[in-house]
Parts: sequence; C-alpha cells; structure tokens
Amino acid sequence: MAGIVEIKRLVKRYKGNVLALKGIDLEIYRDEFFVLMGPSGCGKSTLLKTIAGILDYDDGELYINGKDMKNVPAYKRDISLMLENYALFPHMNVFDNVAFGLRMLDKDEEEIKKDVMETLALLELKGLEKRFPNEISGGQRQRVALARALVIRPSVLLLDEPLSHIDYRLQRRFASLLKDIHRQISGTAFILTTHDQHHGLSLADRMAIMNSGLIEQVGHPEEIYNEPHTLFSARFVGEVNTFMGEIQEVGADSVWVKTDIGYLKSRKPNAADNLVGRRVGYIIRPEKIKISKTGENAENSVKCIFEYLNYFGHYVEAIFRAPHNVRIKSTIPTYNLPNFKVEDEYWLSWSANDARTIIKPSVVEGVDIEDLIYGR
Amino acid sequence: MFIEKYGKYLLLLPGLIIIVFFLILPLILIVIVSFMQIFTFREPTLTLQNYIDFVASPQTPTILLNTFGMSIGTALLTLLAGYPAAYVLAFKIESIKIRNYIISLLLVPFFIDWNARTIAWIPILGESGAVNYMLQALNIVREPVQLLFSRWTLLIIWLQTNILFAIFPIYLALIRIDPDLINAARVLKAPPHRVFYNIIFKLSLPGVVVGFTFVFVNTLGDYITPALWAGGIQVLGLSISSFAANFVWPYAATQSTILILIALAVLFVLFKIVDIKKLVE
Ligand SMILES: Nc1ncnc2c1ncn2[C@@H]1O[C@H](COP(=O)(O)OP(=O)(O)OP(=O)(O)O)[C@@H](O)[C@H]1O
Ligand SMILES: [Mg+2]
Repeated sequence: MAGIVEIKRLVKRYKGNVLALKGIDLEIYRDEFFVLMGPSGCGKSTLLKTIAGILDYDDGELYINGKDMKNVPAYKRDISLMLENYALFPHMNVFDNVAFGLRMLDKDEEEIKKDVMETLALLELKGLEKRFPNEISGGQRQRVALARALVIRPSVLLLDEPLSHIDYRLQRRFASLLKDIHRQISGTAFILTTHDQHHGLSLADRMAIMNSGLIEQVGHPEEIYNEPHTLFSARFVGEVNTFMGEIQEVGADSVWVKTDIGYLKSRKPNAADNLVGRRVGYIIRPEKIKISKTGENAENSVKCIFEYLNYFGHYVEAIFRAPHNVRIKSTIPTYNLPNFKVEDEYWLSWSANDARTIIKPSVVEGVDIEDLIYGR
Repeated sequence: MFIEKYGKYLLLLPGLIIIVFFLILPLILIVIVSFMQIFTFREPTLTLQNYIDFVASPQTPTILLNTFGMSIGTALLTLLAGYPAAYVLAFKIESIKIRNYIISLLLVPFFIDWNARTIAWIPILGESGAVNYMLQALNIVREPVQLLFSRWTLLIIWLQTNILFAIFPIYLALIRIDPDLINAARVLKAPPHRVFYNIIFKLSLPGVVVGFTFVFVNTLGDYITPALWAGGIQVLGLSISSFAANFVWPYAATQSTILILIALAVLFVLFKIVDIKKLVE
C-alpha cells in the first residue's frame, strides 16, 4: 500500500543557514492517526508547513496522493493545516472563518452553510457563529481553528500542537474529540505534532520521534516504548531509569553490563558484533521493577534506600537511592502501596528480559551517550 | 483619597489644556463668528445671513466641487500610488536594514525648504523643463505642452507632497499582519489574488483609511499650492484666506465652518463604510 504522504530525504534550510530538516524519511497511510513527537525546536512545525506547501523544501521528495509536490502551491494541495497559533482571521466572525476554505473552493452558499453548521455542531460551537475571534475563549478558538481546517475535508489534515495552550482537562476532552472525529470520517490521514508524550502515545496509530531535524524512530507507540532504537527515543517515550555502563560479557541472548550500581543483565541488543567494551545505556522502565525487603532470586537486584514518594492518584512513583547516589524510580499502583519507611533498605529487582541495553544515543551525530544520560 | 482615585487623570491635563485652548475654543469661536453680521463681541447680532449668502452664491457649487473633488481625487490617487509602494516595502524587501534606508530616502524631501521644493517644479514641469524636454526628445510632442498652472499640476504636486502620508500608515498596517494569517488562507485553498483581497487588503484597511484622512485633510487645508500652481481654480481655502485677508471675518468663518462640516461628513461616511473599530481590535 502506497502512503498518502511520502517523504524522502526531505531537507529544509531556513535563511541564516539554519538546517531545520536534515533528511526526513516518512510514509503516512490513509486513515492513519500519525503523531510527530519531539522536543521544542526539533522541526515539527517546519515539517508540517513543508507538507502543507507554506514552506519550500531545499532537497528531497514529497508526494501527496502519489503526486510530486515540488512547485505545487499550497492552495492546490489536498491538505489542510491547523496552525500552532490558530491564526483565526480577526476580521471575520466564526462562521466566516470556518466557511473561508469552502468559499475559496467556490462551493455554493447553501452547501457552505450546511457544511459549516454541521462542523460547528460536531465541535460544540453552535451559537457562536456571529462572534469574532476576540470574543470567544481560548478553547473555543482552538475548536474554531480545527473546524476551519476540517470542514474542507482534505485527504490529509495537519494539526500543529492542537493540544497546547489549554488547561489539562480541556486537553483531555479535545484529544478524545480528535480521536472520535478521526474515526468518524474515513479516508483522511491525521498528522498531529506534540511535545507531550501522554497525548502522543494515547492518540497515535503510529508515531515518529523527532530530534533536531531527524527522525529517531517510527512505529506503533507500544513498539517504540518496548523496543526503543536509541536512548533518545527511550527517554522521550514514557518514564525510564537509565544507567550509564559498559558491556562486559555477551551470552547467547543476553548481555552483562557494568554500571555504577553493579553488574546488570539485559536482553542482548540487536546490533551486531563487537559488543564487549561498548559504552551503553542500560534502561529499565519503572513499572517493571519489583520491590521487596529480602531480595529475591531475581536476575537483577540492587540494594537501595527509600527516599520519597510522588503521588499521581492511581499510581505512585517511589524514589530510591542506589549505590553511588544513583536514583532509581519505581511505579506502583496505589491500591498495592506498601508502607515504605524513609531511609529503610529495600531490594529492587527486575528480570533481564524487561531491561534493554541501548548502544546508540541518537540518530543525530555527535551526541555523546554520557551527555545524554547525565543531561549535559 | 481624591488623588488616589483621580490622580491618573491628572496626567491628561497638559494635553487636555492644549487641545481645549488651541483647538476646541478657537473652533467654537469660529462657529460663533460665522453667525455674526459684523465682527464684534460687544452686543453681537447673530444671523443666518452668511450661510444664506453662501448657499445663494453662484460660485458656491464650483468652489465646493473644486475643493472636495481635488482633495478626494488626490487622496484616492495617492492611495492608489502609495499602496503598491507600501506593499513592496512590507512584503518584498526582507532586510529590515534596506527597508529603513528606503524609508529614510523617502523622508529626504521633508528636509528641504518648502519654497525650494515648490520652485523645483518649474525646471521639472515648465515649458523648457525636464518632462517637456523628454517628451520632445522622444518625439511624442512637437511643441512644449503646458504642464504648469492647471488642476493637473495641482494633482501632481499634491501627489508628490502627500504620498508619504499614504505609504506610512498602509506600511504600518501591512507589517502588523501576522504572516500565519496569510499562511492559513493559502492552506485553505485561497489563490494568491484572493489571499491578497480577503486577508492582506482587508486587514490593511485601517491604514488605508488613516492614509486617506491624512491626505484629504492635508490638501483641504492647503490653499497656497492651489494659489500658486492651479492656474486660478477656486478652492474654499483660498476663498477663506482672501476674505480673512480683507478682514471679512464672519464670512470667512462661515466658509470655514462649512469646510469643516463637509470634511467631517466625508470622514464620517468613510468610517461608516469601513468598520474601523472591528478592524483595529
Ligand atoms: N523562520 C525561521 N527562520 C530561521 N529559523 C527558523 C525559522 N523558523 C524556525 N526556525 C528554526 O528551525 C528549527 C525548527 O523549528 P520548528 O518551529 O519547526 O520547531 P518545532 O519542533 O515546531 O518546535 P515547537 O515545539 O517549539 O513548536 C528551530 O531551531 C527554529 O529555531
Ligand atoms: Mg512548532
């Protein structure tokens, strides 16, 4: 199946020699909810604007519906974009804002009215038609921006940070609204950017992790969570404990890594040979860690001191101090919470199969593994 | 207590005093004088006679048409010429440095003495001036054409002296437009000319209105340029100044009041058509 959007080695350079996209490869399919996730400044907006045709690209290829988009102006592309700052037309009321795209397509006014009212109803905006953008709330503005982009029924709907700038409850509601809408209309690919991993993980059919103009990894959220290719991906998706280490011994399907908190065993990384002596990141997700008083017969056990709890409602994060002042966090469902005592000793243990040894810090060249782990 | 509550309004005082003493009071005086038969504040007799005379005068229609026709015409022409310049300045010249150079260059004529600037039109538009020389050299005309001393001369000179007042407000309105509004329109299927009309032009309307007001008011108040260059066409300002020069204050005041009223009416209609409040917010 060919993707509805195909991107090959896409390069975008801003004036002043800012290389914002350094060779992006992506394929996005019809009916897919695709999430682009990455830290601020990694090039998410640039990528969306390039797909939309607002920005030209300097190198590489871009196809939408199989058609080469070089020299195709934005208004002739079968896409729509909800901009990061909404960009509602200040001189038009809500109705005219939403109707704008349909009018530009020269639809007749009857049909426009019907489509606009339908979309406004879908997004719970009925009754606001006559208001101007400065006369509605931030959350409403956001939904108007979505309505305006959605109503022209593009094959590809680009949503740049639609979940930022509003309070958490509204974000949750808006996210589920987006998911509902995506399910209701068929034949449309949604591409959404976010730097919030919760929304990214929960919305995405597939996602890409971006880092300074490159894609770190593409895949299903679960796949990236469980099998991160780089330390950057591992740390950007979900919580993780990372220990700097060096591979000491390689078995048939496992490796032993020497770290500050002792020798730790993990599944063997896919990467080929010459593993011994490699400087690596050893990772274990907090929910995979078991806590006990005695230290079971686990493949990995570390004696730690309990420090404090972070309460999150349905779960808590317990913070422990391992040898050499290394912090380890473990998440525990609240209903199952033991009575921890501060400064008491506990054993943290996990199985080698749940831990990963990651060789590559990032696809970006020149990133030092130690710098990444210690956040330098 | 009093200071706490109203203290901030004290800051308005200096400006308020200046406006009241130098604008509002004189205006009120002019209106009062316009109803006088003889200019005196001792037991003045107020009458409508001046207004009746003005309406009855056979010259009035021509004068009004000349005055407002030339001013509105100049304002429209200046906007038409100024808009593309402002557009190029705002959107096509990306370097702020070059923009500032151009703006400073546009300001240069203002550093030159008004008289010198005016006289400079003779070597340009005169019978042996640059324009005629060019027309003859290019064999477009055989005899020099009369370019000076007509309403067209006035139009050209006013266009030149006022164009900055059109360019500036439009430029300021254009650079305030969020580029993402233009991007949004493009993504929403608007071809370039419809992006221009629906977004750029409409959002620049406040600048256009301000530019119109500047040029319109400027030219209405200017009676010297018409006197010097327009070849004897009558405008209201000229008439006012000649009555005033002959100490016929009441009739001069009547004409002034009418000038102001019509000017306000024109601006009122303009501001009604272009809902400036909606646009400025
Ligand atoms: N107009 C521009 N000129 C020069 N550099 C730019 C321009 N716009 C963006 N950049 C740079 O390009 C890089 C990518 O920017 P972009 O806006 O795409 O990031 P982003 O991932 O969307 O970030 P955020 O999450 O903060 O929105 C950044 O380093 C930014 O500074
Ligand atoms: Mg962005």
